[in-house]
Amino acid sequence: MTDTPLDFGDPEDLERLRHDFRAWLVDHPLPERPADEPLPVFLHRWHRQLHSGGWVGLDVPEQYGGRGLTALHQVTVSDELGARGVPGVPRIGYLAHALLRFGSEEQRRRLLPRMLSGDDVWCQGFSEPGAGSDLAGMSTYAERHPEGHYIVNGQKLWTSYAQYSGLCLLLARTDRAAPAHTSISTFVLPLDRPGVTVRPLRAANGDDEFCELFLDDVRLEESERIGAEGDGWPLAMTTVAYERNALDTGHLSKYGLLIERLRRAAHERRGTLPDGLLSDIGRCAVDYQVLVAHARRRTAERLAGQSAGPESSVDKLLMTRAEQRLYETALKVFPEELYGEGGEVLGDYFYARAASVYGGTSQIQRNIIAKRLLGLPADRRA
Amino acid sequence: MERDEFTLVRDMLRAFATRFRTGSADDVKAQTRADAQRALDDLGLTGLRRTSPPAATVQECALLAEEHGRQPLTTSLLGTALLAPELLRLLDDGERADPVHGDRPTVALAGDLRFPDPDAVGLVAWDCDGADTALFVHAEGRVTEHELGAPAPTADLLRGVRRASAEGRPVGRLTPGAHRSWQAYALVVVASELVGAARSFVGQSVDYARERQQYGQPIGSFQAVQHQLADATVLVEACTSAARYAAWCLDSETPDRALTAARVAKAEVNSSAVEAVYAGMQVFGGIAQTWEHVAHLYLRRVLVGATALATTADLLTVLAAPEATR
Repeated sequence: MTDTPLDFGDPEDLERLRHDFRAWLVDHPLPERPADEPLPVFLHRWHRQLHSGGWVGLDVPEQYGGRGLTALHQVTVSDELGARGVPGVPRIGYLAHALLRFGSEEQRRRLLPRMLSGDDVWCQGFSEPGAGSDLAGMSTYAERHPEGHYIVNGQKLWTSYAQYSGLCLLLARTDRAAPAHTSISTFVLPLDRPGVTVRPLRAANGDDEFCELFLDDVRLEESERIGAEGDGWPLAMTTVAYERNALDTGHLSKYGLLIERLRRAAHERRGTLPDGLLSDIGRCAVDYQVLVAHARRRTAERLAGQSAGPESSVDKLLMTRAEQRLYETALKVFPEELYGEGGEVLGDYFYARAASVYGGTSQIQRNIIAKRLLGLPADRRA
Repeated sequence: MERDEFTLVRDMLRAFATRFRTGSADDVKAQTRADAQRALDDLGLTGLRRTSPPAATVQECALLAEEHGRQPLTTSLLGTALLAPELLRLLDDGERADPVHGDRPTVALAGDLRFPDPDAVGLVAWDCDGADTALFVHAEGRVTEHELGAPAPTADLLRGVRRASAEGRPVGRLTPGAHRSWQAYALVVVASELVGAARSFVGQSVDYARERQQYGQPIGSFQAVQHQLADATVLVEACTSAARYAAWCLDSETPDRALTAARVAKAEVNSSAVEAVYAGMQVFGGIAQTWEHVAHLYLRRVLVGATALATTADLLTVLAAPEATR
């Protein structure tokens, strides 16, 4: 697909959607956040407000509470929110996608509408202290009992906002002997189930987004398993590829706003700017606009019928490059963030440091590109 | 063009490029250059952008430039088939004073190859194989025609460059909008050729990494080599997206937006195409450091290409300015 012309333009119905959404936002602006309201609680209110207007789950079929449109429609909504500097649609798209693909009809009808509306708040229990990049090496074990239920023991890490969530999409081994890729299964775990302990973990930026999840003899029913036993690995891979899709997250327009801020600050201080800083800002602008072009290319490729695959690792590395360089530059333009109280830019800077780790480290992305895009051979010594 | 028609043209160019590619620096001779240019001229590509509306979109031209860049070629596709005809077409829409005397113009650039500042000196006819005259766009949009002189030295051993006469005959003037379109178009076409070179050379180094054995296995199985090639791949994809999008903007957006997108594309390509070729050369190892190997032909092309029309420093300064002040 790299040697024939592509159409980078927005389809007409996207323009209409954008227009409708803008109009809706005028009447339904971002609510005020009281000083003592935790961020996730505030974001949850925003989620419900967006859902009331029909702006969540646009790409989910109507019978499951969505609008039966495409991923591009959802991206357009995220993009509009980002461009206004307001929080985006909660990142549940990849969970919804996992349920759509692997859940039973009954599970989809029961779980998806409540997920989209915010009636259920979800988190993700994949990584473990001993299984980060090597996710297949997880040791949380769901032992099947003759009566049909499972007893789960183990520990999960990086389950974002588990303390505010009701349900967790949990991966656990259902067979200790079989190879990892056929022995992992997926469950829907209600976090109020006996034996579940949630402990928040403070992140480097000071937020308590991450959590540890301890599972001690937790009972799960067979009906709480998503898909068949052993479906967990393919589900995780699909989910991670979706999560990795940096271009679907509405981050882009947020970068754009910060870059224009940097440019204006540099313009006001021209003549007194440290050597090279103007070039750094120019480079951030290039990174950002290349990312926009790249996102549009991916969109055009999808519209032309190409499905998402390992090239999402390229997207993730480009997003990481843009985000990390942007916030490094922002701290140089606004050094008072470092010797003052430390504002939003410093917080976002720390978050950007995680960009090369979450959703698969940059090294894992390079492995995927080398093996799956370039077809390079495996190391025989390993 | 219809899709089938474009595919046909692209495949003709691809077949030509495979046949006339330079195998090694010593193969670059006056006779082989002339033969190759004649064969390219026989494809009849000078009409792609000569008429209004043009027969080919900018994106199609960018793809052809990319295709041409994939092989080490001495031929002038850019100067004589894609750039000069478009310049004449843009002049037709503006103020056209006099006809061009030459049959086969290419473009003239300032001696440092950048878009000229008002007192540019030492003009050269750039990408001039097959050309008999050169058109120069002055900083304020005036266009003049210049005679070709002696060959001029350039680090790019493939690119034909000759001195151009200091005095030129007036041909016309680009309107401000046409001038921006011209700059955007030239940036996109030049950047696209470099994208083709980088993509092709990285691809060759990936093939080599699969074959070349050390320590009893292909070097492409070592993670250090894999990661270097993965990074080069990311850079090539970034260049591709940026150049292709900028080309589409010229077809579909205002000249201002197209010029910004084209500047972004050239800035990305200036650094990333060179970086990607470095990675490929490192994977080829010792053999890529020889005169015979094509590696330095690719490096020379992207290295000089990165200074053509607009350098990284030129572009980053402009792109760092707030949108309102530009």
